[in-house]
Amino acid sequence: MSSEPIVISAKSLSKTYRLYESPQQWVKQIFFGSFRNYYKSFWALKDINMEIRHGDNVAILGRNGCGKSTLLQIICGIIRPTKGELWVNGRVAPVLALGATFDLESTGRENVLIGGAVMGLKRDDILRKMESSAEFAGIGDFMDQPIKHYSAGMRTRLAFAICVHVEADIFVVDEALSVGDEAFQRKCLDWLDDFRATGTLLFVSHSMDEVRRLCSKAIWIDNGKVREKGLPDDVIKAYLAAADGEPDDLRRFSAV
Amino acid sequence: MPLLHIRDGKIVHLRGATTTALMLRFFTAPFESAWRHRDLIAAILRRELQERFKGSIAGWIWAVFAPLLSLATYTIAFSGALQVQARTGEGTKGGYALFIFAGLVAFNFFTEMAYRAPSLLHEYSHFIKQTMFPAEMLAIISTLRAAAYSAIALVCLLIAQCITSGTLSWTVLALPLWFAAFLLFLIGLTWLLSALGAFTRDASYLMMTIAPLLMFMAPVFFPIDSLPEYGRLLMYANPLTGFIDILRDLVVFGVLPRWKVCLWTIFCSMVVFWLGYWFFDKQRDAIADVL
Repeated sequence: MSSEPIVISAKSLSKTYRLYESPQQWVKQIFFGSFRNYYKSFWALKDINMEIRHGDNVAILGRNGCGKSTLLQIICGIIRPTKGELWVNGRVAPVLALGATFDLESTGRENVLIGGAVMGLKRDDILRKMESSAEFAGIGDFMDQPIKHYSAGMRTRLAFAICVHVEADIFVVDEALSVGDEAFQRKCLDWLDDFRATGTLLFVSHSMDEVRRLCSKAIWIDNGKVREKGLPDDVIKAYLAAADGEPDDLRRFSAV
Repeated sequence: MPLLHIRDGKIVHLRGATTTALMLRFFTAPFESAWRHRDLIAAILRRELQERFKGSIAGWIWAVFAPLLSLATYTIAFSGALQVQARTGEGTKGGYALFIFAGLVAFNFFTEMAYRAPSLLHEYSHFIKQTMFPAEMLAIISTLRAAAYSAIALVCLLIAQCITSGTLSWTVLALPLWFAAFLLFLIGLTWLLSALGAFTRDASYLMMTIAPLLMFMAPVFFPIDSLPEYGRLLMYANPLTGFIDILRDLVVFGVLPRWKVCLWTIFCSMVVFWLGYWFFDKQRDAIADVL
């Protein structure tokens, strides 16, 4: 096995959401919660075990609602797991729902300042990297326009450009690239290609070609559990085979 | 290197830390966190301040115009009205208008936070749900923003006092202390209200209902000494009373505030501050889930 240090380690990680039928149930839970439960538990993740070492490039596969995003959000420290133990070593740059922090009334430049600050960068560092961010985004004079005049693709470009300049140890990409045009996707994939030589990459995509190109490992999550992990080719084969066999059944979203 | 270590839904801080160390940690945690995120606070605060008057031509003139207009209105409306006496027996130099204006400066600072806090986390839900945003900083940021407008009103009050009486009492030097205590109180209050407001919109309706009534539960329009003994004690149960009282003593009457009132007010603001932080911290995970 590799001797690189472990950057992400999860031991029987589980996350449950409490679903209430009405706000009244929630109030009852606060006052009488020690006697009985007024909610239904929805286990978004069940008993996830994984170990990601420095330099690993891991693809996370799975159907909509299987728990991929929940897992990434936990790793990024946005939500906390209910059970289990988790270590994350290093700065994480999440390109989850890109541009979530964008303020529509502010210009691109102002949003780079806010986005960088949210990721923990110092103001001076952000200002120093501003020009190179603008160049990566490649949206020209729109940098000085309010975000509300941007197209979806331009927002994605700016958001990706911010994340690129965070100098993260762990880069998390969640189905982000599908919005950009061909040229920009190529630029991002090229950048990720360079990044994965030195950093750790967590990659969620429904494009198996991108997964094959970027990743050295794959984890398939099904219904909140790890169904298979290993080399990308093997996992993709099993995943695609299963997807053929399982129809797009509404019942798999049922909570309990 | 930043390290995240969570066991069974709890952040693991220090191994083998003693109870005293943990307690000390609890008291310093809000300040440590604010210092660590100072650049973030500055970035968001800058945006919030710009946002307030975005789309208006006069912009920040409104922030100065509003308190001046209310001060002018009180002066005209109460020009012949009753004279308020300082508790030392001397008549006020600025009259009833300044007396009310001082009360309103403090009260408006409070209501601005009381109205906004319950919806604060909803306003920033996209930050909290999708980025590593330290949600506890929002209370600090929004209170600082409100503080900027209150500071403008406070300066108006000082100038008006200076004009009407020709001089300012040396006691205004204690104003920064008053302001700091008020900030602690309001930040704590915002933590409490915003955490509640994340779960239920009722918190918002509750504040809209009771905040205007609190105006009469605090001595905004009348001197507290005009009340009987039991009424005074009841009033002081509302921490706002202390803040209004002290502000008037420092600026309008130019006397040192009563030490009992000072102690009680500082005590209240510290309790509210750490209680708010404790409550928000406890509810943080649930907040990210329900937003």
